[in-house]
Parts: sequence; structure tokens; C-alpha cells
Amino acid sequence: MNAMLDVYRVYWRINILTTLEYRANFLMWFAFTFIYHGSAIFALWIVLHSFPSMNGWDFKDMAFLYGLWMVGHAINNTFFSAIGDIPEHIRDGEFDRLLVRPLDALFQAITMPGQIFPDELLLAITYFIGAAWLSGVHVDALFIVMVPLIMLGGALIDLAISLIISTAAFWFIRVDTLRWIVLELEQEFTRYPISIYSRGVRLILSFVFPFAFMNYFPATFFLHKTEAGLFLPPEVGLLTPIIGVVFVVVAYAFWRFGLNRYQGVGH
Amino acid sequence: MSLARRSFRLAPYVEFAKKAIAREATYRFEVFTAIGSFVVRVYLLRMVWIALYSRNAAPSELPLHAIITYSTVALLMGLVLDIDQTRILHDKLHDGSIATDFMKPISVPLYLFSDGTGEVLFHAALIVPSLILALFLVHVDVPSAGVLLAFFVSFLLGYLVGFFINFILNCIAFWTLEIHAAQLILTWVTDLLGGQIIPLVLFPLAFQKFIFALPFAAMFSTPLLIYVGIIKPARYLEVMGLQVMWLAILAVIATFIWRAGAKRVIVQGG
Amino acid sequence: MPIIETRDLKKVFRSIKREPGIGGALSTLFSRTYEEKIAVENVNLSLDAGEVIGYIGPNGAGKSTTIKMLTGILVPSSGTIRVAGIVPHERRRENAHNIGVVFGQRSQLYWDLPLRESFELLRAIYGVPRDRYLQNLKHFSDILDLERFMATPVRQLSLGERMRGDFAAAMLHDPKIVYLDEPTIGLDVVAKEAIRGFISEVNRDRGTTVILTTHDLADVERLSRRIVLIDKGTVIYNGSLERLRTEYGTHRTLVVNLSEPYPEFAIEGAELESREQTTVRLRFDRAKMSAEALIRRVTERYSITDVSIIEPDIESIVRRIYLEGYHQPTPAATSLT
Repeated sequence: MNAMLDVYRVYWRINILTTLEYRANFLMWFAFTFIYHGSAIFALWIVLHSFPSMNGWDFKDMAFLYGLWMVGHAINNTFFSAIGDIPEHIRDGEFDRLLVRPLDALFQAITMPGQIFPDELLLAITYFIGAAWLSGVHVDALFIVMVPLIMLGGALIDLAISLIISTAAFWFIRVDTLRWIVLELEQEFTRYPISIYSRGVRLILSFVFPFAFMNYFPATFFLHKTEAGLFLPPEVGLLTPIIGVVFVVVAYAFWRFGLNRYQGVGH
Repeated sequence: MSLARRSFRLAPYVEFAKKAIAREATYRFEVFTAIGSFVVRVYLLRMVWIALYSRNAAPSELPLHAIITYSTVALLMGLVLDIDQTRILHDKLHDGSIATDFMKPISVPLYLFSDGTGEVLFHAALIVPSLILALFLVHVDVPSAGVLLAFFVSFLLGYLVGFFINFILNCIAFWTLEIHAAQLILTWVTDLLGGQIIPLVLFPLAFQKFIFALPFAAMFSTPLLIYVGIIKPARYLEVMGLQVMWLAILAVIATFIWRAGAKRVIVQGG
Repeated sequence: MPIIETRDLKKVFRSIKREPGIGGALSTLFSRTYEEKIAVENVNLSLDAGEVIGYIGPNGAGKSTTIKMLTGILVPSSGTIRVAGIVPHERRRENAHNIGVVFGQRSQLYWDLPLRESFELLRAIYGVPRDRYLQNLKHFSDILDLERFMATPVRQLSLGERMRGDFAAAMLHDPKIVYLDEPTIGLDVVAKEAIRGFISEVNRDRGTTVILTTHDLADVERLSRRIVLIDKGTVIYNGSLERLRTEYGTHRTLVVNLSEPYPEFAIEGAELESREQTTVRLRFDRAKMSAEALIRRVTERYSITDVSIIEPDIESIVRRIYLEGYHQPTPAATSLT
């Protein structure tokens, strides 16, 4: 719809203007982003310095693994981070305000202007290119076509999780802690090859919170990893875009369910 | 701002601490998620170390059971050390209520300390159920009574170091309210360089000299290394002395920053 | 054809009955009982285009529930509702194009942005054609005197300035109906008058229907000719202000200042409303006894220093209705002149 495109354009214009105006704040947050990812990589390096192999994965492999996750995660943070503010809107009545306007409420929530800038995304892409080169991964046509799609699929998985947590606010009001914990655990669990976990956890990370599809399965495929205990063929890593779409559809259905209930449908 | 010399009353500060405990207890959901995420992390670190130790040569002073103990105890300490104890200072500066606090016949820094202590005591109580749950997943070595005592003393010193760092950071709110990002950065840096996630003895030797000198090491690493026996009793006085030194330095910095900040509030009128 | 029409509108809220204590908390895990609360019931409204009505009621009476149903946010439990020919909750977005909303307690402007940017974003959301937008913006900017702070971030504006901005924002897309919820709350007298003037002008010039929810009855007296009174979920009065004044209008209050604190005070034919030291308030029915007669009776028995008569204002009428309930009074005898 024309209105949506128009709003999106204005949204980004305001984002960039606001970010440039609050430069000091922006730099502070960029420093945080840098340290957040930097300390994770640094920690990996320290550990693998003393313990060079983790189930057959060395530092270069893990760096590549992290990079795959990082870009998908950054895409979500750049384009859909406003979804995380929805619980606050519901709490303070701003959400009702969105419902009174002639545009889909979820779209409006996503396009609430703030200080959004694609700095994390640029950092992630730069890092990934470096890590890919360092790992010596074979870059062929399949790689060039599939990797961006996989990253988008990863972003969709992240988006779906975020939307599900925000939808929970229709019932639970305060979900900030939950969101924070899920985010932390996501970053920590996806840092390592899931083959180090027990079978039950591997299943959860593959099919319940499919974080393993964000980076592990695609990395296994492209790095030609063979490990004992792998219970799915590596080609499964190419399914990430589809998994992402499916998961988003599920999350969106849950959202509509929550919204209907909020509006009193069926009471 | 001169306080007439009166006899010091402990009662109001005890009340502040109690209030803080009651306040934290209302956040039931947060309590569950804190314990839940602790348990998950214990599991995660255990699997990570097992995987690493299975294919690589283990460091002699840190066998697998020791490092798993280290990680678990580190996470338990984190339940208490990772809290923003003087957060209310920032909140009060944000909504201006700090001004009324200065008008009351109490010492505001002591008020903040008692409030923070109350909050921490509540979280410390969480250590018990957390530990019980963790014991389903891992085995935790228990050292001798003497070592345990030294551990607790060192832990207390480390806690105080952390308190002052946290306090100083929240004091920056006197000048700029946007400290959220700085806080997160500090938490990350503390956890990594403090040795919570990776024992500092595993860092490359080139880094170790530098890292051990930082106050962050005083918070996690020193007590933990005492616990797992890497720091032997002969060195106790030396390492605790270092903790005390940092404590003194930070206390002085805190005093100066506090005075400057308080003056700013009073001059500007809140 | 009325622009807003509701018939037998009803909204019931279901919530889980919470038992106290830990045992109670556990029991709700296994079996749940629901309790129902009727928020509004039997609400029949019929508003013509271009009307300005005051929607009044105590807190919790059901005002915001009604407004939420009219604006399409909330789905009614039963009853029919049509706004500008459509059912709001069924065609929410279409309805949204027809309405504007101002919440006095919550601004719809974006806090950190200059005022101008808020308008720009709203223009995009409502899809207002650019020339129409510029025209409206200029017009409202002039009459609300917004030009001065178009570039100021909204959070730096005073309450009065922000409220004016909110009005312009609500009107930018030429809505047929405007819902104003506490539009003058917190404003000083001058600002209140400015806002009221604006509402009046917009209604006059553009024929915008206005539904005004407010606790400040001076707003109502100044702006609307019709009021709807709601209490405990039902409409207890729906009619013109004039009629309300007339029906309750035969009552007056006589305020008497006594020269000494008489231990007892009673006058036949008048009701003692209140007594404070030497100040006495008497309520009397002008149809039954003239003010002159009442004053004579008072001075016969007591010595007084001052006397005044208070006409019934909407405030006191409404207060009485809240307390006593609305009842159709017996047809008044011809009023004495």
C-alpha cells in the first residue's frame, strides 16, 4: 500500500536525522555494540588459544559461525527492533492510539521512529567478510546466492522470537526480563557447535527455538564439517530461509490471536 | 550542607535495607527468570568445558572438575555481583526526587548503601535454591574449611570493590542521565576481564600481568582462584591486600565524585 | 440520518477470579472461575452530524469503554453500533479515516521529534494528499499559533502548546468526527479558553461532529448543547442542556450569613443544604415559594448580615444527579416571575 511505503520512507528519514542529532548517544551505543560482539569473539579466541579444538571446530570455524549469526541478528535489530517496544506501548496506552489510526497496528509499531542506524549491520557484514576469508571457506555460486538468503532467514527467526515475546505482553504486561534472558541465551548458545550439547538441547535448538538454523547448520554445510552424533544431514543448513518464513508465519498467527483477544473479540 | 554532630542512628538505614528487600520480593517473575537463566548457564558452561577438555590437553592446575566448579561458583557469585545495586541513585536523579532526599536528616550515600545491601541480601538468598538446582546438573568441589573462610572474606572484599565501581558509575548520572550503554559495557568488561567466564589463568601470559592488576579481577577472579586452590594460603595476604588497595582507591574516587555531584544538585536546585 | 448510532450497546468484561493467598494462587492453576463485569449496558445514542455533545460521568462509569467501541478499538459484547455508516470494529481502518482523537492525558505527538516531523509522519499514516495537508497545516498553524514552535521537540513544549499541537494533529486529515478526551485538563484559564474557541470554530466552519469527554463542566457549558450522562455503565440522561437546567432549574440556593451563631436553624418550606458557623445554605423550589418570601421568613426569625442567591449551574446539577440519581421531576408549575 502506498501509505505504508510513504510511512516507511518518513520513518527512515526521521531515524537518521535523530541519530545524527544525538551523536554522542549514538557513539556510546556503537561502542557498546562493538564491545558486546568484540568481547564474545575475544572470549572465543582466549578459550581456543588454550583449547584449540572444540569437537573439531577451531577458532577460525567458530569465528565464521559467529559471523553468520551476527549478520542475521543485526538485520533484525536494524529493521525490526521496535517490536521490542510493543509491551511498553500496551502498558502505557500508546497501543490504543495505534489502533485508532488507519494503518496496521503492527506495522505502525515497527515504524516508530527512534535512533536507529545500520551501524551494527555494517559492522556485522564487515566482520563476516573477514571471518569468511580467514576460515578459508570455499566461495562459489551457491555460497554467494545462499548465504544472504540464510542471513535473511536467520533474521526472520530472530524476528519471530521477538514478536512472540512481545505478543506475550497482551497477557503478562512485563516481559523485559524474559526478552533479555532469551537474547542472552541466544547469543551464548549459538556461539558453539550444538554438537557439544545433549540430545534434548540439540532438538530444542533445532525445532523449538530454531537458533541452530541461524548459523550452525549452514556453517556445517559450508565448512564441510563432519562430526559424530550429527543427526541431520548438512544440506539442511540450506533450509534456513524456509524455516525463517515458517517461524514468522507462526509468530504472526500468535500475534493476531493476541490482538483479537486484546480487542475483546469473542467476549 | 553541614550536618550538626549528632549521635549516629543505625535504625533508619536498617529500615531502608528492609524496604529494599520487600521491594525486590515483589518482582516474582524476575526471581524465576534469574534462577532459570542461572541454571541454563550452568548447563551451558558445563557442556562447553567438557567438549573442550575432551579433545585438548588439560591445564595441570585446572582439571575438568575444578573448572566446572569454578564456573558454577562464578555464576553463583554473579547472582549477587551482577546487580546494579545503586540503581536508585540514577532513578532519583532522573525524576528529581534526589532533592528531597538531601533535605532529610540522613546521610544519602549511606542510604544508598543500605538500600543496595538490602537488594543484594535478597538476591543472595536466591543462591540457596540456585545452588540446589545446580547440584542436579554438576558436581561442585568443596574445599577445606580454612579455604572456604578465606573465600568468603575475599568475596566480601570483592563485593565492596564492585559496589564502589557501580556507585561511581551511577554518580555519572549527576552529569548525564544517559548511562545505560556505559553500564552494559562495564558489565561485559567486568565479566570477561574479571574472570567470571574464563579463569584468568587461561589467558595468554602476555595479558595476565595486566589483567590481574585491574579491579575487576578483585571481584571475581581472586575469590574464585582461592576457592579452587590455585591461589595457595601463602599468598592470601598478598591478594587480599591488593583487593583492599583497590577498595581504598575506589572509595576515595567515590567520595570525590559524590561530593562534586551532590554540590551540583544543590547548586542547581535538583 | 444520524452520524453516530448505537442501539442496546453492551460490553461485558470477563476476568479470572483470583483467590487470595498461596492456596488460592495454586487453585487457579487447576480450575478457573470467571467473574463478569458489565462495563456498559443499554447505551442508546443517536448523534447528528455537526453536533457537539458532552459525554459526562464519574470515573469508572463506562465513558472510555464506550469511546473505545466507537473508535473501533474494542468489540462490543452485544448491540449495534454504526459510525458514519460503518461498524467501527469491523472496518477499523476505514473508520479511522473518519475520526480524529485527542487524549488530554497522552499526546499522540512523537516526544523527541520537532513538531513538524510529527505532522509529517501523521500525514503519511493518514495518506493526506500533500496540497490538502499543506493547506490544513497552514490553517491550523495560524489559528493555533503553532508557527513559533514548529521546530521545537515536543518534549520541550508547555502543556498548552502541546495540546494545541495535538489538536492540529487530530484535524489534519479532515475527520468527520472528533473524540476529545479531557482536552483542557491541566491547562490554565487562558489556554482553556483558547482550546474551547478552537473546538467551537472547527465545529462551526467544518461541521465536524465533536464528542467531548470531560470533568470540567465549564467546557460543556461553553461548547455543547447536548449532554449524555453515564453512571455505572448506563446512560442516565441524554438530552439538551437547556432541558436539564429547566428540570432542575426551579431549585435555587439561598445563602444567608447570620449575625450570630444561633444554636438551631430551621425554616419551613426550605431544605437546609448545609450549615457552617454563621453561613447557611437553603435549597428551595422557586415554583413553590418565591425568594422574597423565603428571605422574609428568615429575617422574621433570625437576624442576618448578608444574603445571596445561587443559580443552579451544571456542576451542581450533575453532582446532585450522581448522588441522587436522575428522576424525571413532576411537571413544574408555571414558574413565578
